[in-house]
Amino acid sequence: MAKSWKTLVNGLWNGNPTFRLLIGLCPVLAVTTRAVNGIGMGLATTFVIVCSSVLISLLRKVIPDKVRIPAYIIVIATFVTIVDLVMNAYLPDLHQVLGLFIPLIVVNCIVLGRAEAFASKNGVFASMLDGIGMGLGFTWALTVIGAIRELLGSGTVFGLKVVADGATTIGVMSLPPGAFITLGILMGIMNMISARQKKRAN
Amino acid sequence: MSESVRMVVVLSVIAMVSAAVLAVVYGKTSVIIEENAARALESSVLEVLPGTATVNIIRREQNPLREEDPKEMREKEQKTTIIYQGVDAQGRIIGYAFVGEGNGYGGAIRVLVGVDESTDQVINLKILNHSETPGLGSRVEEEGFRNQFVGKTAQDPIAVNQDINAISGATISSRAVADAVRTALKDTVELYRGGE
Amino acid sequence: MNLFLLFLSALLVNNFVLVRFLGTCPFMGVSKDVDSAFGMGVATTFVLVVSAAVTWLIEHFILGPLSIPFMQTTAFILVIAALVQLVEMFLHKTSPGLYKAMGIFLPLITTNCCILGLAIMSVQNAYNFIEAVVFGLGAGLGFTLALVLMAGIREELRFADIPEPMLGAPIAFICAGLLSLAFSGFAGLI
Repeated sequence: MAKSWKTLVNGLWNGNPTFRLLIGLCPVLAVTTRAVNGIGMGLATTFVIVCSSVLISLLRKVIPDKVRIPAYIIVIATFVTIVDLVMNAYLPDLHQVLGLFIPLIVVNCIVLGRAEAFASKNGVFASMLDGIGMGLGFTWALTVIGAIRELLGSGTVFGLKVVADGATTIGVMSLPPGAFITLGILMGIMNMISARQKKRAN
Repeated sequence: MSESVRMVVVLSVIAMVSAAVLAVVYGKTSVIIEENAARALESSVLEVLPGTATVNIIRREQNPLREEDPKEMREKEQKTTIIYQGVDAQGRIIGYAFVGEGNGYGGAIRVLVGVDESTDQVINLKILNHSETPGLGSRVEEEGFRNQFVGKTAQDPIAVNQDINAISGATISSRAVADAVRTALKDTVELYRGGE
Repeated sequence: MNLFLLFLSALLVNNFVLVRFLGTCPFMGVSKDVDSAFGMGVATTFVLVVSAAVTWLIEHFILGPLSIPFMQTTAFILVIAALVQLVEMFLHKTSPGLYKAMGIFLPLITTNCCILGLAIMSVQNAYNFIEAVVFGLGAGLGFTLALVLMAGIREELRFADIPEPMLGAPIAFICAGLLSLAFSGFAGLI
């Protein structure tokens, strides 16, 4: 039980794909102009990671070693296309905003990375937990960045107005440079918190 | 079973299962996706033709070639233009709307143009989709820019630097919208009136 | 569309890395020194141009006629992966010098999202064959430019006095933000 818990929470902080491993950065920067987009993108990616991790873990003894990468790619691409189609049908507005970055989940290094590093070596249940942890770690990172950029760039959070009328917003935060700068500062803050925790533990 | 045969079999099975699953999902969702697109376009028509209660869809065949050209060639060149006619609650025709396309910086910009039934003047327009640079080219969506087109007819030049002021720093995007409105307006007014 | 405009747009104004955020992972990973940044850029440009051509042919001669648009993502990514392998083998056999320079970067290119992103974008924008290839070339050179500039900045950063929590990736992101801000100046180019 303790081990399962550890697998699950690994992706949330210590092994956080965005802030710690620095992988899957393109959607992190591109779609986080609003908090809602961050959640949408994060959950879509979580779905793909969990489904493909489970399936790959199930098939890990069937797939010959030499062709494992193409096999993983087909599995992942299938789930991505399902997300793409379903989202287009039932959440057309969100689909329009995320656009190109939905099919690009295929080349998100987190998905293939978890398949190769975890799901191909572990059981179905552990792979599922790992997928959920990584996916949610990715989701919260995207949501926080989205909320910060939305607040500074357009004065709203989750579409609700939080600054006074007439207050100046920093437009550049919703533009591409804002994405890089927000991520850089957040990473610095995370490093600072971790350093402090380590000091206290000693 | 030898190793290489197994590789081929496993990969083919995975690929086939994947294709089958996707075909099913595509079949189920494509209907909804098309309905959504049609509904979205209809609600856009309501925006550019205020007061509209129902939208009629008019299809007009357009053929740039003449009678004496070979039949196959004419069929190939034939294209259908869709015009949306807005009718109010009393059954009066308010106007008609159509989609125009221009080439912007990041790709095509599609514009829905609403035109008044009696005067053939532009009532309003709406940018349906674009992939222009956020904060610059995307400003063609702003009301101040779009309002410049209100009241124009097919006889007006509708060109940047003549009767339309471009957004500074986004000349290409502004020109694309003006192009889209100008070409679509001229063709569609003729088609719409010619078919009566 | 005017080919030159398309090229310029992909190269500077809508720079793939700094404005469209495609290929950010190698942009952060391989920008520690100018030489390897240049190698990565050239290798990526090469694959971008070839894959722009190949995926265009796949779209117009296989996916389009069979009307199976839902296989697009799967087909493109498999073709790109295979293509990268082929390029790697071809270079290994024919030109050891070039292989030595580009070889280590090639496996990383499959998961560089600018390759797949470019393929999908040129389908969405209905580019013809020549436009797709020019688009690929512009995007590749834009990627190289951003990568080399970033590597130059990071080489200088080594001598800067940076607060400890900001060392490494965080400061690199801030610099990337400033670079992106500079590139947004190109927006009024035409």
